[in-house]
Amino acid sequence: MKQPPSVDCACQVLSSREILPGVFSVHLQLPPGSPAPHPGQFVQVEPSRGVFPVTRRPFTVNSFRSGVLEIVFDVVGRGTALMASIEAGFEMRILGPLGKGWDMSGDGPWILIGGGLGAAGFQFLLDTVECSGVVLGARSASRLVPLKTRCPVITATEDGSSGTRGLITSILGEDVLEGAGHIALCGPLAMMDAVWKALPPELRSIVQVSTESRMGCGWGVCEGCSIPVHPGGYMKCCTDGPVFRGEVIDWDRWKEAGV
Amino acid sequence: MSFPPSVKRNMWGMEFPSPLMLASGTAGFGRELLNLGCLEGVGAVVSKAVTLKPREGNPPPRVQETAYGLLNSIGLANPGVEAVLDQLLPQVSDLPCPLLINVAGETADEYPAVVELLDSSSVPMGYEINVSCPNVASGGRAFGVEPSVVETVSSMVARVTEKPFTVKLTPNGGDMVEAALAAESGGASAVTVCNTFLGMHIDWRTGKTVIKRKVAGYTSPALLPLVVASVWKVASEVSIPVISSGGVSSGEDVLELLAAGAEMVQVGTRLMRRPWAAGELMAEIEDLLTT
Repeated sequence: MKQPPSVDCACQVLSSREILPGVFSVHLQLPPGSPAPHPGQFVQVEPSRGVFPVTRRPFTVNSFRSGVLEIVFDVVGRGTALMASIEAGFEMRILGPLGKGWDMSGDGPWILIGGGLGAAGFQFLLDTVECSGVVLGARSASRLVPLKTRCPVITATEDGSSGTRGLITSILGEDVLEGAGHIALCGPLAMMDAVWKALPPELRSIVQVSTESRMGCGWGVCEGCSIPVHPGGYMKCCTDGPVFRGEVIDWDRWKEAGV
Repeated sequence: MSFPPSVKRNMWGMEFPSPLMLASGTAGFGRELLNLGCLEGVGAVVSKAVTLKPREGNPPPRVQETAYGLLNSIGLANPGVEAVLDQLLPQVSDLPCPLLINVAGETADEYPAVVELLDSSSVPMGYEINVSCPNVASGGRAFGVEPSVVETVSSMVARVTEKPFTVKLTPNGGDMVEAALAAESGGASAVTVCNTFLGMHIDWRTGKTVIKRKVAGYTSPALLPLVVASVWKVASEVSIPVISSGGVSSGEDVLELLAAGAEMVQVGTRLMRRPWAAGELMAEIEDLLTT
């Protein structure tokens, strides 16, 4: 039988760790010669070898170094519960890298604005680009993803367990955003919508947004993962994104639809 | 029929490379799968639904996985027949297998109108007429639940094309055998049995559904016995070929559907997880038939 396409592979699980309550970090060894992902791209994970679940689960590439790919996920349902039960030494099948990642064109340092676990994927970006600041928000310290970076990180938590007590928008002062050449935004929809609306309008053209959506295929055919865009209609999270220019997204329609 | 069934399939006077078809909505127009190198074992690709005018589709979320299957509410999102002719079909003229175009409409007239326009292209080898969509003239009841409407639509399509077409019936209301007989007498070259089953998932904590339209199309490997029964009933009554659609997740499932009387077997949701499912199923079938 012909081998599955090169973008699909069985990866050895090098480690699986619970980094926050209910949040897992899995390091996967890609087979030699596998295509290297670009920051912001994602992989489709097969949570089990059985018939169910019938779809894969999409995850941003959290970090990537010398053939080792990391994903971070929250156990929210059956698929992720199955994934959390896969231990080091076993295999996890992934299809990827998929989608369009962060657009690196243009000058100036990056400022990363992340909400909760949405900030996990920033590690790969931090390892790749010049960054001048990271702004993180979460419900509490137990939902703040640890990031390895030398650039300044400021945080806000709703319960005050880390950094400023309050919403992320309360720490998005002009001093924080000064000099940004790129702004990367990732997190829950309500948080991203609030940040988008709080940003000075003149900065909107440099904002890129890493979106998420319930997905069927992940490779562009099923039209399941639609994101509302201007001037109307939808684009596909999986192949047109998952990273979009903030100005492309129709935030009001997206917020109304939910994810 | 002899058992176990042969995978050599002859339909509409031609030999298909395999009995497997990729079901509408799960393979685009074939381009993405060709790029992924996943068309091995595919007998034919059925395109996503094409309508007369562009349709942006339903608001998201459009898909939701349940414990044992997938709900979808895509809303026939497609760029409309003109854009399909100008932009999409030229991209798939090099498909290594035949392409059937799935056609949907809001009124009976739209089916022959779309088919007539598509007929100007040599790319499609035939059509699949989706009569599961709501018929505006019938207050939104699906075309497929009324045999007289199925016959009318089939004969309208038969008048505008020389190419073969299959009528994709709905399992949601109406008698599928009556509908299949109506399609046959209207001139259909085959019937596809069946489409997605109406399903719904409610969060009991909130009373809400994830999918905005609440009720959606349900697909699942667990539906196999329902599809086998429908295929068997319809194949016993009509003399045109029956193409099964639904429930396939293994080579055994494919052979069972052929044994039930299916001439060709569509694979759909399985592709979501394994885009190369057709090649995998054919290899499995070869093993099953030689050991």
